[in-house]
Order: sequence, then structure tokens, then C-alpha cells
Amino acid sequence: MAPHIELLLQTLIAGILLGGLYALIGLGMALILGVMRIINLAHGDQMMIAMYIAFFGYDLFQIDPYLSIFIAAPALFLLGVGLQKFLITPVLRVESILPHNQVILTVGIGMVLSNLATVFFTSDYRSTPVSYATTAWYLSDYWKDAPIELSLSLPWSVSFVFSVAITALLWFFLGRTDTGRSIRATAQDLDAALLMGVNVQRMRMLTFGIGSALVGAAACLFIPIYYLYPALGKQFTNIAFVITILGGLGSVEGAIVGGVILGIFESLTSTYLGMGWAPAGRFIIFVLVLIFLPGGVASLIKKKRFAK
Amino acid sequence: MKRFSLAVLGAFVLMLFAVNLYAADLELAIPLPLTGSEAKFGEIQKRSYEIAAAEINAKGGIKGKRLVLHFEDSQAKPETARAIVEKLIGNKQPIIVGEYTSSCAKAVAAVAEERKIPYLVVASAADEITQKNYKYVFRQNATNAHYADAVISFMTQVVKPKSMAIIYESTNFGTSGAEDMEKQARKLGINVVVKEKYEKGAVDFKPILSKVKAARPDVIYMVSYVMDASLLMKQIKELRIDAKLYAGGAAGFAIPEFIQNAKDASEYVVTATLWFHKLNYPGAKAYADKYKQKYGDYPSYHGASAYSAMYVVKNALEKAKSWSPEDIRTALKSTDMMTAYGPVKFEDKDGYQNQNFHETFALQVLKGNHELIWPTKYASAKYIYPIPAWRDRR
Repeated sequence: MAPHIELLLQTLIAGILLGGLYALIGLGMALILGVMRIINLAHGDQMMIAMYIAFFGYDLFQIDPYLSIFIAAPALFLLGVGLQKFLITPVLRVESILPHNQVILTVGIGMVLSNLATVFFTSDYRSTPVSYATTAWYLSDYWKDAPIELSLSLPWSVSFVFSVAITALLWFFLGRTDTGRSIRATAQDLDAALLMGVNVQRMRMLTFGIGSALVGAAACLFIPIYYLYPALGKQFTNIAFVITILGGLGSVEGAIVGGVILGIFESLTSTYLGMGWAPAGRFIIFVLVLIFLPGGVASLIKKKRFAK
Repeated sequence: MKRFSLAVLGAFVLMLFAVNLYAADLELAIPLPLTGSEAKFGEIQKRSYEIAAAEINAKGGIKGKRLVLHFEDSQAKPETARAIVEKLIGNKQPIIVGEYTSSCAKAVAAVAEERKIPYLVVASAADEITQKNYKYVFRQNATNAHYADAVISFMTQVVKPKSMAIIYESTNFGTSGAEDMEKQARKLGINVVVKEKYEKGAVDFKPILSKVKAARPDVIYMVSYVMDASLLMKQIKELRIDAKLYAGGAAGFAIPEFIQNAKDASEYVVTATLWFHKLNYPGAKAYADKYKQKYGDYPSYHGASAYSAMYVVKNALEKAKSWSPEDIRTALKSTDMMTAYGPVKFEDKDGYQNQNFHETFALQVLKGNHELIWPTKYASAKYIYPIPAWRDRR
């Protein structure tokens, strides 16, 4: 029995840690979708750019990837604001046959970013082999006669804690500050917000910047435990997209829950069905949610509130 | 104005002259993955082809012709590799050399056979490439079924395992490597307790590794390219999965980047390989030193095979009655020579055609370096077995 419990618990630990990181990736996309009604399909490629910032920081100046958050996140904020101001806003004004040409624009931006990265950084695989990469805590070190052995990886845990802290900060920002409230107002009803004197244009720019900064932070949390190459963005755009749908389009709370659900789901399928199933499972969830729970996790949260 | 037109004329004449000079060259275009996920391996091979060509040209070229190499980037995509080779055949190139991934080599082999142009496979492992009764396809490197020969003999003579877990990448190379190992294990009475594939790009192997841990296998055998290889070993260390042996099926485990990325988690890992720079083959050391001096690291078997392939081509072109594909094919078929990569001889046996059967080796990471440990008569260092448990390592 003990080995089964050990396997299940270890899988759940892996799932929760992975889910925390997924949530941070999904968060940025959900925020942008909520406020701007744009699915930012360059999300993963922006993450890739931030990972290069962290990589070069480590490689050239020996800056710990976790400290790079304070460089990569502001840099990505500026990148996001710039993209919004000079590319997306102009396209929003253009009348076109396609109703969502700004979404197509983000696909283009993503391709440009990943191809530029190939040109400038080559398609070599990069990584930051930090000294603590394989440090872990073990249950048996603290409890001598433990019937089961569990381990908790140091870099994964640090990444998870950072991810939770950043999420909490965002929560505080959106709920307790004037700017945060204005952003939420813009998300809820653009015209009403405009009438109440909210500078909607500025809020949109700010949102795109914050969404980008969030994925920039996620990038720094990922690089110590993963690796990097220019085409890596697509994979994370997909993950963020699934989380956003799962969480309920544009809901920040939903994205957090969605990310954790996806992480745990992937770990469980890997253990009990086979690792080859994890990516397929991701899209099965995606389709099932669209059919049976079109509002995502957010609609469940809301229902509960109304029931009170 | 007059002076200008004179200069133009001069340049033009010079160009004509230059073209004339180059007419005596033998131009060879080599398809390789130079960008994309396999670029690392493409780069090793490209450098090695260049070293060989420079040596050959310094000694008078091939039948007096200077060997000029070009490289075409196939991005490890079979359709691109196919298109490149179609173009080369259109350009009347008499022989095709190169490619790396098995999927690409398979595509190229099909074209070469169809158009009756000899093709020398240099570092692609999937068995079926030389099992299809192709007349024009030759392979210098050992096939997947033989990759792990030395690792298996090390296992049966030293480790004597009863159970095994196999983890592999879901590509042509990974799948055929895993299946060959499973067959061998069954033959040796080793129980395969877990056999799991993963999609390239996976972030977290811990769920699947926890399952491996619960199954308590004696041996964990992995077939992966470089980044996944180090992620796997790092996470095995994190979970403290104590097997008697961690073994890799060449590729990602056999190049220095594996040790650089996995660091201390790579220690004691045994991997199959087709060649090692400390081997006593003629020219092996000279080539390896030249490569290290230029690029900072010793080359892997991919490079050695590419380097020697140039000499195999040279040998065939010198022996061939004419440079028609048919004559080159006949000359290649009669190849029997010693190279820096080892003996090269193309044989038809065990269901393979035009396949070079050569010895394979096992490496172990000892103190942060690859050392050849098996077969013992070639060993550069004594193997360490049993290996210490993770808990006792410091």
C-alpha cells in the first residue's frame, strides 16, 4: 500500500508545483483577454524573450535567474506597452473583413519574435546550470522512520513560492489600488468606465504591460528548471490558452485555479496513463470545457457566490 | 568613366578566370540540420567534414580535384531534406553524403534509391534504413539494434539485472532504440517493468519517474536527445531513484553538453556510443586533437563518423572507373578500409544491406568526464560499480 500512496503523493506534489507555474503563465493572458478582449497569441514568445534576458544575465554577468525577475519583468512591461501602443492600438482602429484582426496581429508578432531570436541567438539550446538545480528536501531526512519517501525540489519550490507571491501582489493591486480598480472597471464595462472618467486607453496599455511583465516573471522562474530555444514559445502559448479557456475567458481567479488544475491533471495522466498522453489530455480538457462549461471555472465560482 | 569601364571589364575577366579555376573542383553539398533542435549535432558533423576536406585538399584533393563542401540546412525536417537532395541530384552531384536524424535519412534514402544515386548514411540509427533492399544506400554507423551492444554486455557481465525501466522520446530514433532494447532484454530474461515514451519538450518528468521509482528497476535505460537527457538525470537525482545502473542510448548522453547541464547528476551514468576519442584507431587521436584545439571540446561519434566518411568517399571516388553513380556504387560496395572511426566495410547480412558492422562501446561519466569502460580491452578507465546511492553522494 505504501508505495501506491507514495506514488500518488509524489505525483500530486509535482502537479501542484507545476500548476503554480502554469497559473502565472496563464494569468498574464487572462488579464489581457479580460480587459482588452484580445487573445494574445504572442504570449509564449514574449516569455521566450524574457528567458533570453535571464539566460544572458546568468551567462554574461552571473546574475541568478531568480534575481533576473527584477530585470526581465520591467523589460517585458516596456515591451508590452510598446506593442500595445505602436502595433495593436493602430490595428484596432482599422476596419477589416476579419473581426479579430488584432488576434492575427499577435500571431504575427509571435512569429517575428521567435524568428528574430533564431537570427540573433541561433537555435542552440541554452540553459542556466545553477548550482542548486538538483537540491531537494527529503521526508526521510526529517522523519527517520518514514514509511514513505517524498522529495521536494528546491528550485521548483522557490519558483512556486515566487509565483504565489506575484499572484498575491497582482490580487492586491487589482483589488485595493485606484489603478487596479480602474483596470477592472475597464474589463467589466468599457463604456461605463469611460463615462466615469477612466482613461481607458491608458488602462489598456498598462494591462498589456502588466500581462507581459507577468509572463516575464514566469520566464525567470522557468529557466532554472527547464531550458531555452527560440521556438519554445508556441508550447507555452498553448498552455496559457488552455488555462485561460479553462479558467473562464478573462477571469483572473479562474486562471489561477485553471493553472493548478491543469498542472495536477497533467501529472496524474503522466503517472497513471503515460507521459505521451499529457499534451493530448490538455486539448481534450480544452474541448470538453468549451462544450460543457463554456464559462470555465469562473462561472462555477460566481454561481457559488450568488447561491449565498 | 573610361577608367571605370576598364575596371568593370577587368573584374569580369577576373571572374571568368575564377570560374575557370573552379571548374576543376569537386563540389559536394551536404544536407544537415544546422538550425532547429538538432543543430548541435549538425554543427559537430559540419566541422568534422570541413576538417577532413581541408586535410584531403592539403594532400592534393581527390584525383587532383579540390574538394569544395557546401552545407544545406534541412532543419531536421524530412520534407526539407528531401527537397534539398532532389535539388542536388538535379545538379548532377554523383554521390550524396550526410543528414543526421533517422527521419530525414529515411526520406533521403528513398529519393537516392529511386533516382539511383549512391547515398552514404553517416550518423542515423533507425534499423530500417538499410533493411529495405536498397541498392544505393550505404551506412557507415552501426544501427540502433547494435548501439547498445557494449552496454548490454556490460550489463550481463557486471550488473546482472533482473528488471529494467525504459524511458524514450517518441521520435523515430527513440522508439526504435527502445524497442530494440526491449527485445534484447526479453532475450536475456530481464523483466521490463516500465516502458514509457514522452513528447519532446516535456517540462516535468517527475510523475513518470515516480512511477519508475515505485517499480524499483535494476536498470533505467533512456533514449533521449541532449536537453531531455540532462533533465531526466537531474530529476532522477531529485527523487533519489536508486537503480543499479543508469544507462543512456547514445545521442544526448554521449556528448559533453550532457555533463555540463546535468552536472553532478550525470556522474556514473553509462551510455552507449559508437566511437570515443581515446580509441586506438589510426588518425583518431590526430582528428580529435585538431577538433578540440579548434572548438574547445572533444568530438562525439557523430563527428568522427562524418570525418571518416569523407575518406570513404575519397576512396570510392578514386577507385571508381568513372564518376557515374553506377561505378561509384560499385566502388563503395567494395570498400574495405581502416579509418579514424574504425574499420569500414559494407556487408549484406542479418537482413541488412550495405551496412557497416563495427564494434560499439560503453562510456561512463567519471569525475565529470566521459571515459570508455567497455569492452575492457579498449578501456580508458576502470568502471565504477556498484555505484553509490544518491543519499551517500556528496
